[in-house]
Amino acid sequence: MTDRQHVLTSSRIGNVPTNSSRRKPGRVSAFADGWRRWWPYYLMMAPGILFFFVFHYLPIWETRIAFEQVRIVPPNVWVGLKHFQVLFSSPVFWQVLANTLIISTMKMVFFLPVPIIVALLLNEVRGGSLRKFIQSAIYLPHFLSWVVIAGIFIAALSPTDGAVNNLLGMAGIAPRSFMTDTGAIRWVLVFTEIWRSAGWDSLLYLAAIIAIDQQLYDAAEVDGANRWQKIWHVTLPGIVPTIATLFILNAGMFLNADLNQVINLSNDVVRSKIDIVDTYVYRIGLQTGEYSLATAAGLFKAVLGTMMIVVAHFVSKRLTGKGVW
Amino acid sequence: MALSRKTPIERIEYVIIVSTLLLLVVVTVQPILNLLAVSLSAPGKVPGMSGLAILPDGLSFEVWSVLLQHPNVQRGIINSIFITGVSTVIGVVGTALMAWGLSRPNLPGRKALFILVLVTIVFEPGIIPDYFVNKRLGLLDSYWSVILFKAVNAWYLIILIRFFEEIPKELLEAAELDGANPFQVFWHLVLPLAKPALATISLFYLVFHWNEFFRAMIYLNDQGKWPLQVVLRQFVIDGDKIAIVGADSANNNTGAGQLNLRALKAGMILLTIVPILAIYPLILKFFTKGTMSGALKG
Repeated sequence: MTDRQHVLTSSRIGNVPTNSSRRKPGRVSAFADGWRRWWPYYLMMAPGILFFFVFHYLPIWETRIAFEQVRIVPPNVWVGLKHFQVLFSSPVFWQVLANTLIISTMKMVFFLPVPIIVALLLNEVRGGSLRKFIQSAIYLPHFLSWVVIAGIFIAALSPTDGAVNNLLGMAGIAPRSFMTDTGAIRWVLVFTEIWRSAGWDSLLYLAAIIAIDQQLYDAAEVDGANRWQKIWHVTLPGIVPTIATLFILNAGMFLNADLNQVINLSNDVVRSKIDIVDTYVYRIGLQTGEYSLATAAGLFKAVLGTMMIVVAHFVSKRLTGKGVW
Repeated sequence: MALSRKTPIERIEYVIIVSTLLLLVVVTVQPILNLLAVSLSAPGKVPGMSGLAILPDGLSFEVWSVLLQHPNVQRGIINSIFITGVSTVIGVVGTALMAWGLSRPNLPGRKALFILVLVTIVFEPGIIPDYFVNKRLGLLDSYWSVILFKAVNAWYLIILIRFFEEIPKELLEAAELDGANPFQVFWHLVLPLAKPALATISLFYLVFHWNEFFRAMIYLNDQGKWPLQVVLRQFVIDGDKIAIVGADSANNNTGAGQLNLRALKAGMILLTIVPILAIYPLILKFFTKGTMSGALKG
């Protein structure tokens, strides 16, 4: 018999036997009552909770090697902030941090408007099947892995038989090897990001546009507004909260310049231009074996990233009512 | 349609809008169609084929037959299906069970558990600590290291909690009054009601695990355990020709060695996308709906 039933039957009888009058008063019995009712839920949640502890909280505990000297024969030796000192005095680290910030900034400036424009254009398309066709095509890349996308773009950007250079050739422009061009590779990151996710992200804005009150459009029409005036005075103001939310959330993820993207589009020629904190951690940690230094770099990024996300969450909550979670 | 009473300028505007979007469609789809064309062209025609072509020059299935018969590719396909299948089942079951508890408003410790989950979203200590945990647990070079990576995804968990919370309280109370225990309520009432949400997160997990390559790359030394994404990376990104062509064929220019490397790479990339394309109609149906309603609810 559950507690809820118990309460119902007893109230029907008419007396008021509270839990504490039936059992020993105090916190222990309250706990026991709670346990009697809730243990099935905890049993069901147990695998999930165990998972979070082992694969999310044990790694947090493992970050202590950022403060230790790893020795082949345990135990490791506590060295305090030594690895952080090495890290902060390493020019390579500042270079990868700068790369991360530059790439994130470029993505933010050049990526963010694209899905908004796509959503505004899509919203103008009457005819449901045409719109569905366009949507089905432009959402697809979002579901491809970066290995696949890198493969597609290595082919499409090939100096000899890639689509881009074939097109440039028609215009009489000499072929360029974009993938091994230190001046172009960051733009390759920006463009592939747009190719992959601008279509899909437009869905978020489209949802916001559809939620706009139709009466506002009718009123604008009565006032004689044309297509662009309606977009400017009704649609855009209607999606400003969504734009603000996504902008702030992106700002919170600023240090996550996407390891999977960089690791697949990188090569020896252009590495110095797009080496980011994550690829640096991977390289010095798992490839060179400097575990402590790599963990220190990862921890530095994680702490900074956490602060940015939390700040972004509260700014977003304050300004738009929507947070990260 | 309203189009008929539009002015000529408005019609031209409309044509420009639609053309812009169709151009976007071309930019999205053309590179993929080009790879398909290259992979299906007659071997002799591939060198010098334009990157703009979307139709095969001649027709040959040799590239596809070589790839599908290659032991590394076959192993990759089996490994990918195994890893994706097992981790999706574990993920959906684990997520649903945990979400059910966390969606009960009066669950003791609910808030603490929520914070426990949120912390894992905002604080990611990085790959080295993850690597050491797997090492300590003896999971390195085991399928489990890959299967259990993000086995319960915090974001999907939150989506499912939100969905379970929408189930009318009266329904749950009625079932409890009928004497159903939490397991029965979950199995007979909550799960059937949550079918669309469960389908959505199943697809999330499927896509996520199928596309995952980095963890497999760093945790699995044994090439026989590599999923397709890692095989693809070795061949296409690292340019390890021997991985697919085989040392003998590469040196003696026989068998697969005679085939154009560009065509083989194109085929290999497409092969890795096939499952995504196969479930793409479902993705469109559930993802789109989920994202739209999520955004509307705010």
